[in-house]
Amino acid sequence: MLGQVVISGILSGALYAMVALGLALIFGVMRIINIAHGPLLMLGAYATYFLYSALGINPFLTVPVSMLALFVVGALLERTLVFRVVDAPELSSLLLTFGISIALVNLAQLAFTSDLRSVEYLTGAWLVGPFALSKARLVAFVFAGALTGLAFSFLQWTRLGKAIRATSQSREVAMVCGINVQRIHLFTFGLAAALAAAGGALIAVIVAIQPEMGQIWTFKSFLVIVLGGAGNYPGALLGGILLGLIEQVASLFLTTQLSEVVAYVLLVLVLLVRPAGLLGGRQT
Amino acid sequence: MTAKTLGVLSAAIAVLVGGISGEAQGPIRIGASLSLTGTYAKLGKNQHEGYKLCEKDLNAKGGLLGRKVEFVVYDDQSTPATAVRLYEKLITEDKVDGVMGPYSSPVTEASANVTEKYKKVMVAPLAATTSIFKRPPDKKRYYIFMVISPAEVYLEGLIDIAAKRGLKTVAIVNEDTLFSKAAAAGAVEIAKKKGMQVVFQEAYPKGTTDFSALLTKIKSLNPDVLAAATYFDDAVALTRQMRELDVNPKAYGVTVGGDLPEFYDTLKTNAEFIYGATQWEPALPYPGNKDFFEAYKKEFGHEPSYHSTAGYGGCLIYAEAVKRAGTLDADRVREQLLKLEVRTVFGDYKVDADGFQLAHKMVTFQWHEGKKAVVWPDELAQLKPRFPTPPWNQR
Repeated sequence: MLGQVVISGILSGALYAMVALGLALIFGVMRIINIAHGPLLMLGAYATYFLYSALGINPFLTVPVSMLALFVVGALLERTLVFRVVDAPELSSLLLTFGISIALVNLAQLAFTSDLRSVEYLTGAWLVGPFALSKARLVAFVFAGALTGLAFSFLQWTRLGKAIRATSQSREVAMVCGINVQRIHLFTFGLAAALAAAGGALIAVIVAIQPEMGQIWTFKSFLVIVLGGAGNYPGALLGGILLGLIEQVASLFLTTQLSEVVAYVLLVLVLLVRPAGLLGGRQT
Repeated sequence: MTAKTLGVLSAAIAVLVGGISGEAQGPIRIGASLSLTGTYAKLGKNQHEGYKLCEKDLNAKGGLLGRKVEFVVYDDQSTPATAVRLYEKLITEDKVDGVMGPYSSPVTEASANVTEKYKKVMVAPLAATTSIFKRPPDKKRYYIFMVISPAEVYLEGLIDIAAKRGLKTVAIVNEDTLFSKAAAAGAVEIAKKKGMQVVFQEAYPKGTTDFSALLTKIKSLNPDVLAAATYFDDAVALTRQMRELDVNPKAYGVTVGGDLPEFYDTLKTNAEFIYGATQWEPALPYPGNKDFFEAYKKEFGHEPSYHSTAGYGGCLIYAEAVKRAGTLDADRVREQLLKLEVRTVFGDYKVDADGFQLAHKMVTFQWHEGKKAVVWPDELAQLKPRFPTPPWNQR
C-alpha cells in the first residue's frame, strides 16, 4: 500500500515542482510573489482543451503550443503591468498580481463559461507488479520531469540562463556587467507563465477544467517554494516532490482531510526552524 | 376654456393618474442568491433557469396577486459568506418583496440566518440537509421551508439494492461539507439497519483532485459496495481513479453530480453501471412533467436536471402559498406553506411544523448505455439494475 501511495506522491510531486519552478523564478529574479500564477496555469489548460477538442490534436503534443501562447501572455503582462511594481514595496506587487488573478479568472468565466470541460484522452492504468500506474499521470510525470530538466539546463548552461541567474543574484552587478535587466524580467515572466501553462496542459488530462481550477495551484506552488527555499531553484524541485509525498502518505496513515493540515503544519515548522527553506534562500 | 375641452382634459388627467397608480404597484420582486460561478456553478445555473422559467410561466398566467413577478438574482460564487452579504443586500437595499433559496446546503445554512433575522419566508428548494430545518428549540427557524428529500436518504437506494442481493460490506466516503456529511451519516445508519458492515468511512476536503491514497486504502479492504457522497468534480475524479487503481466494488454509487448529462459526457463508458440518486427524473409520472421538460428544453437548449425542476417547483410552491394567503405578508404566507399539500412537476410537497419535507420521494438510477434508468424504488423502476458491476478489465 505504501509503495502505491509513494508512487502517486512522486507522480503529482513532479507536477508541483514544475509549476512551482515558475513561481520561484519570478520571485528569485523580480522579488515578486505572483498570485496570478495559478490562473495562468488555468489558461494553459484551456489552450490544450480547445486545441484538443477543436483540432483533435493529441493533448500531450499541445504542451509546447500552450507554453508558447502563455509565454506571450506572460510577456505582455510583464511589459504592460508587472514591470511597474518591480521596485515597489512587496505589498504593491501582491495587490497587482492579485488583481490580475481576479481579472483572468473572471475573463475566463465570461469567455469560456463556468461549464466543466475535460480532455478524455488517456484513461486507465498500467499494472506493474502490485502497482497501478495511472497512464495520464505517468505521462504527465514524464513531461514534467523533462521540462523541469530542460529548464534547469537552460538556467545552468545557456547565456540567457546565466544572465537570469546573475540578475537573480544581484541586479546591480548584472546591470554593470551589461545585462539588459528589463529584457531578463520580460523573459523570466514569460518563461514562468510558460511553465505554468505546461502544468495546466498536463493537468487538463487529469482533472476537470474550469475557470477557478488555478487558484489552488497558486497556494500549492507557494507552499512548495517556501518549503524548498524561496528563490532557490533546486529547492522548488525538492519542495514539489516533498509536498506530493506528504499529501499522499499523510492521506494514507491519517485521513485525506488531515493531509492538508500536515502540509501546512510542516510549512510553519520550516518557517520556524529554517526560515530560508530546506535548501536555504536565494542562491543560484 | 370650453366645457368640452375641460371634459377632455379631466379625462386625460384621470387616465394619467389611473395609469400612475397602476404603475405604482410594480412587479413583485423575488430575490435570490445563486451559485452562478464557482464549484457549484453547473448546478446553480440549472436552478436559476428553473426560477426563470417559473417567472415566465407565472407571468404568462397573469402574474401573482395581479402583479407581474420579477426575479432579482445575484451570484454568490458558491461561497456561503458571499451569499449572506447578498441576502442582506437583497432585503435591506433592494427591498425585495420575497426571497427564494440559494443552491446547496452550506449556502442555505448560512443564508437562513439572514432571512430569519428579517423574518422573510424562504422556500429553499436545493437544501437537503436535515440540520438546517431540525434545530434545538432555542435556535429554531420559523421561515424556511424544505422542498427536496433530505440528504440522509440519498444513498438508501444503492444500499437497499446491495443488501437485497446479499452484499455484506460497504465503504463510505464523502466531501467534507454539510450535505455530503449528512448523506454519508445517513448511509451509515441505513447500512447498519439493513445488516451490512461499514468497513471504511472517511471524509476528504472540498477541492480534492487526487484520491489515490483514499482509494488505495479502500482497495486493500475490498468492500462489496462503495457509496460516495459527492458533488460533480469529485465524483468524476473518484471514478477515473477507481479505474486507474483498479478498485472493483460490486456496486458503486455517488450522490450529486452523477445525474448530470456531463457526468456521462466526461466519463463516457466508464460511467456505465454507476448508481446515482436523484430527486427527479423526466420520466416520473408527475402532473405536467412532460410539458415542463419540453418547455425547458426549448427555452434553454438543454435538458433540465433535478436542480432545474426543484427550482421551478419550489418557486411554484411559494407562488401557490402567496396566492392562498392573498398577501405577501411573511407570517400569513408561512401559515399557508405549513398547511400546503401539493404535487408539482417535482413531485409531492408537504412539510412538518419545522418546515421539514415529508412527502417528496427520492429515486435511484443506474447509467445504462448512456442513459439513466430508474432502478429503485421498485414501483417507479424502469429497469432491473445490472448487477453485479463487472471489474474494470471485463467491461
